[in-house]
Amino acid sequence: MELLFQFISNTGYYLADYRNIIMLCVGSLFVYLAIAKEFEPLLLLPIGFGVIIGNIPFFKGFGLGIYENNSVLHYLYFGVTTGLYPSIVFLGLGAMTDFSSLLVRPKLMLLGAAAQMGIYFTLLSALAFGFAPKEAGSIAIIGGADGPTSIFLTAKLAPHLIGPVAIAAYSYMALIPLIQPPIMRLLTTKKERLIRMPEQERTVSRKELLLFPVIGVMLCCFLAPASIPLLGPFFFGNLLKVSGVVDRLAKTAANAIIDTATIFLGLTVGASTQGDVFLTPKSVGIFFLGAVAFSIATASGVLFAKIMNLFMKSKINPLLGAAGVSAVPGSAREVHLVGQHEDPTNYLLMHAMACNSSGVIGSAICAGILWSFLL
Amino acid sequence: MYGLEAIAACNGWAMAIAGALIVMAGLSVLSFVISQLHTVLELFDKRTESSEKAPPVMSKETNTDRYDPERPFLNMEEAVRHYQAASADLGDRFDLKELYAIFYHSGFPHPHLTIRSLREHGHLIPAGEGFFSWQA
Repeated sequence: MELLFQFISNTGYYLADYRNIIMLCVGSLFVYLAIAKEFEPLLLLPIGFGVIIGNIPFFKGFGLGIYENNSVLHYLYFGVTTGLYPSIVFLGLGAMTDFSSLLVRPKLMLLGAAAQMGIYFTLLSALAFGFAPKEAGSIAIIGGADGPTSIFLTAKLAPHLIGPVAIAAYSYMALIPLIQPPIMRLLTTKKERLIRMPEQERTVSRKELLLFPVIGVMLCCFLAPASIPLLGPFFFGNLLKVSGVVDRLAKTAANAIIDTATIFLGLTVGASTQGDVFLTPKSVGIFFLGAVAFSIATASGVLFAKIMNLFMKSKINPLLGAAGVSAVPGSAREVHLVGQHEDPTNYLLMHAMACNSSGVIGSAICAGILWSFLL
Repeated sequence: MYGLEAIAACNGWAMAIAGALIVMAGLSVLSFVISQLHTVLELFDKRTESSEKAPPVMSKETNTDRYDPERPFLNMEEAVRHYQAASADLGDRFDLKELYAIFYHSGFPHPHLTIRSLREHGHLIPAGEGFFSWQA
């Protein structure tokens, strides 16, 4: 009888409290959103299931939980706390990115830079809300709309906030179709939304495609060396792709490697999201500021495009500014759809992808800058 | 501490302004460099082409029968004249294998299709015992 009672007292049923139940419901919701609504399923499904795994109650001291040494989840979590998984994800992203649209229209890179203003505005807002500087930096990077970058910087600056920051970042990336279009319509006139971008003026040579990752990594990483862990693998992955001599490596980076890192990243980030950190007023503040960050990033990109048009003969469609956030290819697709809504023959997708690509580089640079400021 | 006081205490204004300027400057420089990249590459390519091109040698007696791989044949007669000149060493009767080898090593385009076309148009005629000769 005593043995039976001892066994029962070690089960999850006995050890559960209201926070476990709430987090299990949150995890189940993410799984549902990922599968039924297809909201960023590549990340939300592993994160959601990770939340479920990480919040099943267990008796501590036996190396079971993610924060206990020698547990399997703890070893897998190593890739998050050290920033390993985000670097590997960026390797795969670089191997999947085609920079030819950006190389043909280098001016659009400025829109990617302008969209990063959301990060700095959110930094100020987070400080004003009373967050510590490192926490504010981790929250601010949500404005870059880049999940791996957010996780990378948060792991360095405020590891206890990885869960809420990651979930906020990926949730807002999934909500781009709801967040961005109203802002785009509010800040642009119908005439501006109808601006047509010129067709591709020239073909990008292979030499340009080969030189760009080399020049890009040197210029960006010389400026912000703290972004080497992200931009180094990113440009390396791109060089693997465009070199044409290591197709096997490029395909592996773009498929098996990034998928493996994504699985472990999502699962362990979810498992690390415990009720005592997630169910706090801080998390509410993080979610609120995340929405602010996304909105300001979208708005600053659109407004900068309008400012550029004051000085340019050949106008840019200001909708493209919204694609300056790093959410590839979701925001590019939304910009294209909003443009098509006004004029079904206006194809903005490749131009928006140019802004999106530069947004990835811009958000990684911002992460390096914030890390060096807040070390 | 909250509000503007918190921002000032944490040096927030400086971080935000400096960070924004750094990222704008960095991407502006990168944008400028890649905008000039194709121009610089075209200059390099032009310099390389001009240093590799030898100046044309103009002589009064120009051998019009010399094969120029960069100048396509104007008509079948001109093409046949060049093929005959290239295969002059084979004699009046020759094996098509030998003719193919000469066309291949002379750099003529598509030697197999060329020989077939010459046969179909009657420029190459059978000379018995598996040999061929040029139509007079």
